[in-house]
Amino acid sequence: MTAKALATPAAARRKSGLLSRLTDPRVYCSLLALSLLLIIPVAIDSPFIVHVFVTICVFAALSTAWNIVGGYAGQLSLGHMVFYGIGGYTTALLIQHFSLSPWIGMWAGAALSVLVGIGIGYPCFRLRGPFFSLATIAFLEVVRLLAIHFHGVTGGAAGLIVPLKLGWQWMIFREKINYLYIAFGLLLFAMAVSWAIRNSKLGFYLTAVREREDAALAAGVSNTRVKLKAVMISAGLTSLVGSFHAMYITFLEPATMFSLATSIEIAMFSLIGGLGTVAGPLLGTVLVVPLAELARGWLGASANGLHGFVYGTVLVLITLTLPGGLAGTFGPWVVRWIDRLPGGGTRREEYEAPEARPITGTPGEPILTAENLVMKFGGLTATDNVSITLHRGEILGIIGPNGAGKTTIFNQISGFLKPTSGSISVVGPDGATRTPVSADEFARLGVGRTFQIVQPFGKLTVLENIMVGAFMRHAKVDDARAAALRVARLVGLEDIKDVEARNLPIGGLKRLEVARTLATEPSILLLDEVMAGQSQSDTQRMVQLIRTIRDSGVTVIAIEHNMQAIMSLSDRIVVVDSGRVIAQGDPQEVVKDRRVIEAYLGEDFVHAQGI
Amino acid sequence: MDVFVQLILNGILLGSMYAIISVGLTLIFGIVRVVNFAHGEFLMVGMYAVYLLAANLGFHPYVSAVPIVILLFAMGALVQRFIIQPLLGADEHIQIFAMVGLSTALVNLALLIFGADLYSVNTPSVRQSIAFGGYTLLIGQLVMFFCALALVAGLHFFMQTTPLGRAIRATAQNRNAALLMGVRVNRIYIFSFGLGAACVGLASALLMPLYPVTPTIGTYFVLTAFVVVVLGGMRSMYGAFAGAMIIGIVDSLSGYYIAPDLKEVVYFAIFILILIFKPTGLFGLGRGTE
Repeated sequence: MTAKALATPAAARRKSGLLSRLTDPRVYCSLLALSLLLIIPVAIDSPFIVHVFVTICVFAALSTAWNIVGGYAGQLSLGHMVFYGIGGYTTALLIQHFSLSPWIGMWAGAALSVLVGIGIGYPCFRLRGPFFSLATIAFLEVVRLLAIHFHGVTGGAAGLIVPLKLGWQWMIFREKINYLYIAFGLLLFAMAVSWAIRNSKLGFYLTAVREREDAALAAGVSNTRVKLKAVMISAGLTSLVGSFHAMYITFLEPATMFSLATSIEIAMFSLIGGLGTVAGPLLGTVLVVPLAELARGWLGASANGLHGFVYGTVLVLITLTLPGGLAGTFGPWVVRWIDRLPGGGTRREEYEAPEARPITGTPGEPILTAENLVMKFGGLTATDNVSITLHRGEILGIIGPNGAGKTTIFNQISGFLKPTSGSISVVGPDGATRTPVSADEFARLGVGRTFQIVQPFGKLTVLENIMVGAFMRHAKVDDARAAALRVARLVGLEDIKDVEARNLPIGGLKRLEVARTLATEPSILLLDEVMAGQSQSDTQRMVQLIRTIRDSGVTVIAIEHNMQAIMSLSDRIVVVDSGRVIAQGDPQEVVKDRRVIEAYLGEDFVHAQGI
Repeated sequence: MDVFVQLILNGILLGSMYAIISVGLTLIFGIVRVVNFAHGEFLMVGMYAVYLLAANLGFHPYVSAVPIVILLFAMGALVQRFIIQPLLGADEHIQIFAMVGLSTALVNLALLIFGADLYSVNTPSVRQSIAFGGYTLLIGQLVMFFCALALVAGLHFFMQTTPLGRAIRATAQNRNAALLMGVRVNRIYIFSFGLGAACVGLASALLMPLYPVTPTIGTYFVLTAFVVVVLGGMRSMYGAFAGAMIIGIVDSLSGYYIAPDLKEVVYFAIFILILIFKPTGLFGLGRGTE
């Protein structure tokens, strides 16, 4: 059976999976709800209602696309109309000058938008919070002003009329209902992409990056690359919808195509519905767009500004009362209710965990070599000419008083700090010696680390936290889940695997740190004070766990203040004080060393004892 | 050469207007750590208030400055108390959304009440130009320049010498430490937000004789103010003042030498470049990526 499953191409397997899922109430309820967007307007058959539903589909699709960057990746773009406008103008201009069908032109627009998305995203992703938003607004304004300035190309402020050629080929119809079919199709497409991302490695990585960039790096996630992927997909989708909408409104002007107000609206629909959820953007749109369109329809020009006022007020109220949005707040409750329908209930079959990566190499050979590490922070020298060689299969303890520079050493040998001078080389899984640069590169080479100040992905469950680590070696969700489950069992987190990480006490969080790192299947494990905050019995378990890990071939370096534990555990001890290695060797030897006692207890003590 | 000097003068006078708005924005960001996306709408509200006082009671805009500053202070304090304060512990994006929502609501409320028409206050005395060594300046702009100087000097004096000013500076540097020293941080925030909004109140009274008010006027000015604040290093009042002068001059020069409709492109481009390459601002006074 397994052999057969392996032989079938992955795509075919997924397809049959989708068909069998039709009996799942979560699937058929979603599809039924979605089809209402088509059934209601077809049944009522009034041009105004059709217009309202086309608008809903368009804005829901735009908001869904926005949510990939704004929700999943947590990058609050307020300039997303850039991509919409580029799509619209590209498609319209290609019709005007080359008589190219919009069905082809929209892909050209999407390609251009993806490029622009990279151009905006790459430099801006290092900006945090409001500054990223401001930068996206600035980009939008620049593009809008350029579109007005180069009126020879775009028609400028006076606008551009899409050549009116009727028929499916030109995406322009006399019968409005046809627009609805296309808009609905685009919405389905956008939601399918959004759903696929949510349930893939990329979706987990995006959440990880949004929650904690450092922990994501330690799990081997390249923050920039992941965010770029999100912006590329989002820009492409937004652009496709923009192209279609341009054919629908048939009149393009920079003020509406690159509108800041609309950019904000797209984002607000997602927030109202539930940021970072698949259904949220659609929910938000369905809730507020009809309100605005009906107000416009009934009250006409006297209602100018009314819809915006309602939008703004709803947005403020939502942030104050339901920051999770509709889907985030009521979603779990609705899902529980749906699961009671026929065919419901979770029955995820037990999935066999894939083999862990075997660790090869001769025990005792140098596996990580740090030479003459110097790290200066301004005038402070945190590590002063530190050299450490780690041998395969050993447990190396690093001890030293507070502020000695232990964590700084860790940060350098895991790529989180670039040493002012000195070099670090790592023997990779293939046996070749490398000098990695970035933290995620270290992680992928097999250097796993935990953080002294725990860095959980707070909104993910314990198991999902571990999965983020597991994805580094297992790209498929089922494999990663099974591998993560195996680690959870090993570390003793299985009972609380479905608890959100932010609800864990400190002892649990420390173990979660170890579990997430273990899931990356490292060959070198850096443990930064994992015993701190653990009870006596948990400490015993942790010591046992570290021995088990070592016996599986992993080389361990541990920073620890718990002397009893570290002395019994380590094969070798390195003592650090004031940024220098002052002693190293066998644990029993090291504790007798005069300099070590001095460092811990002071010179006076040494004199008093007459050592 | 004459044209160039005239342009520089214009730029400095324009810059002083941006300075008043930006100093308010900087105060709010520097102390409460919230980017006030509704700052421009505060300006818009202030300008409509000046217009209403002038149209109904015949107040000169400069006289209106006093009640408007008080009104805007109250508005800022209320926003802090009832919108920002409950969200202080929330995610950053929730705060952004709240302020963006407030901004959207205010713009459209104005549109609903006043429509898209332009309203202006006719004050010929302020629009009079005076000759100054061969160059011409508007009286209103000159007043604005001296007000900007007085504002920065006054705030400097207030922050450095008064106990409240010291408490504000302490809160801005380290909220928790200030809290432990017995500073009522929430009150400091309310006062600071009010103070930042009050700056905009002053700006609206000075601006009204020179620019007609529309619902979207805030967006126009505040985007520039954001550029100024980023240029000045986000948290420094003096940086904001200098940044405002630079943007004023860039605005004036690029409008003449490049193209009037591209001057915004020029300073938005500067904005993006500064954000990306020198997030601490032109003078290294802040930390933009924090």
